[in-house]
Amino acid sequence: MNIIKSNKFLIGLIIVALVIPLFVESKFHLNTLILILMFATIASAWNILGGYAGQLSLGHTIFFGLGAYTSTLLYLNYGLSPWIGLFIAAAISILVGIFIGWPTFRLRGTYFSLATIAFAEVVRHIALYWRDLTNGSMGVNIRFEPGVANLIFREYSSYYYFALVLFLFALAIVYYVDRTRIGYYLKAIRENEDSAATLGINVTKYKMIAMIMSAGLTGIAGVLYAQFMLFFEPDSVFNLNFSIEIALITIVGGMGTIFGPVLGAVIIVPLNEIMRSSFPELSGMNYFIYGIALILIVSFMPNGLLPLLKKIPAKFKSKKLLDVKGGTDIDSSSK
Amino acid sequence: MTILQTLISGLLLGGIYSLISMGLNLILGVVRIVNFAHGEFLMIAMYLSFVFYSTMGLDPYVSGILVIACLFILGLITQRFLIQPILDTPDTTKIFVTLGLSIALQNLALMTMGANHMSVRTSYQSSVISIGELAISIPRLISFIVAISVAALLYLFLQKTMVGKAVRAVSMQRQAAHLMGINVKKIYLLAFGIGIGLVGLAGSMLTPIYSVYPTLGTSFVLIAFVVVVLGGMGSMFGAFFGGLIIGLVEALSGVLLETGLKEAVYFAIFILVLLFRPSGIFGLGKGAEEVG
Repeated sequence: MNIIKSNKFLIGLIIVALVIPLFVESKFHLNTLILILMFATIASAWNILGGYAGQLSLGHTIFFGLGAYTSTLLYLNYGLSPWIGLFIAAAISILVGIFIGWPTFRLRGTYFSLATIAFAEVVRHIALYWRDLTNGSMGVNIRFEPGVANLIFREYSSYYYFALVLFLFALAIVYYVDRTRIGYYLKAIRENEDSAATLGINVTKYKMIAMIMSAGLTGIAGVLYAQFMLFFEPDSVFNLNFSIEIALITIVGGMGTIFGPVLGAVIIVPLNEIMRSSFPELSGMNYFIYGIALILIVSFMPNGLLPLLKKIPAKFKSKKLLDVKGGTDIDSSSK
Repeated sequence: MTILQTLISGLLLGGIYSLISMGLNLILGVVRIVNFAHGEFLMIAMYLSFVFYSTMGLDPYVSGILVIACLFILGLITQRFLIQPILDTPDTTKIFVTLGLSIALQNLALMTMGANHMSVRTSYQSSVISIGELAISIPRLISFIVAISVAALLYLFLQKTMVGKAVRAVSMQRQAAHLMGINVKKIYLLAFGIGIGLVGLAGSMLTPIYSVYPTLGTSFVLIAFVVVVLGGMGSMFGAFFGGLIIGLVEALSGVLLETGLKEAVYFAIFILVLLFRPSGIFGLGKGAEEVG
């Protein structure tokens, strides 16, 4: 009963997502939709490590940038199709993720966040410095040669569908995590690491599993970004603000939930686009509001919007259910 | 000879890092908050110093006392209205409140002061003391002497005065300090105020040396994190020497390696210390792993 219900909702959403490009003509709107999907993918990936396992990474920009650079450099230097580059990008992101996680998983709370920031800064400086490989601060440019093999499309709608597939893949992984014991273990680690270890959970192993899924997905999203933008530089893909934004999206939606990051992306990405275009004469205004909003959101609704949204239908439902069958199903239906 | 010159300028620069890091460390040790907006307070201090100079013609060293007072009050306000309410919340909230403050302050500066680099012009700006082939910049020397004196004063304050002892007690054992009749909230206010006040002093010392711009704080706060972790959490002594060490490392790697890599070098140090000695070189025992 429960599964059918939630699947109905999901199938409805997917159908809407599939037909949207048929109705949206404007490039600006399609662009926003693609960004929403991309950020929803990355936030879902961050959510596995940050939301479920409670390891608040502020270095996810590393995997994003690595993904972008890996596929692009392979394509530019060796003519390797980004379709293959996609897998290599994921593999490299995962390897670097393990390399970062292995030592830093010993650190708790804010210290883990600080260490991930430090890693991200090291990577950024290396990318800026290693000009032979990355072209330094000049950035890399992919020539616009549309073709399926090149993963470059003339139509925005093609990018949209590509982003949609990636997003559904990420969603499927989060769904899997949420519904299997991995999710429960990760939540146990988040709530109390010592107790989790005492109960026999291999804390480092499960944190590492979360890191692998999280890093790999973020790396793939980096490839999408590179193929969509066709130009990027170290400061745009290895950027602390990017890491913060990903975390913010997840927090706004609801950490440690399947749809939280999606909700967050649907709210934050368009807001960002609107704010960016509304204060062109006063630079900084959009990010000033952004910073204030960040403070207010984490102070007043640390659990995000999703739990609040869920409460509303549950109230109506519980009344009906009470009338019909004495309210035995309240808890499971509101979940 | 160039190496010696480099070492000296690194050491002098390290004095400023020490001041900023001691403030960060005091807040971290006592209030148990990683203040991601620390660098933005430095930026504010330097803008204040600049504004005092351009409107009233006050020399940065003279206006320093005003800047320190302003920043101290700003610190009290921040602690009372922003940090106090979130002290018992999860890490997420603590991290993102100060991060949000950092983003907001940075962009407030961008809105009000613009993106251009601004600097003051003083008569002593480029004057140097020459000893043989060595040239020591006077503003940098002054900033270093001030840093050392303030570090010594702070040390005396924490070790010898009753209030200082209370501050240390709170940083060691919140609960016990509370039971001994120490007003913990007041100590938090004091620690945050002094921490930000130190940044005010550092800002005044930096204004004759550096130009100020809205994102200036980011690089300094990252350096301060490195210093605090290197020196050890809660250890003022550690923050002071950590600052000097990072100043030296930065200057040396700028000469031995290429300038573009100096940040990578001290971040690598940061990661290594976190991994192998999370309690820092002068740490007080309780390490990074235990403090959440």
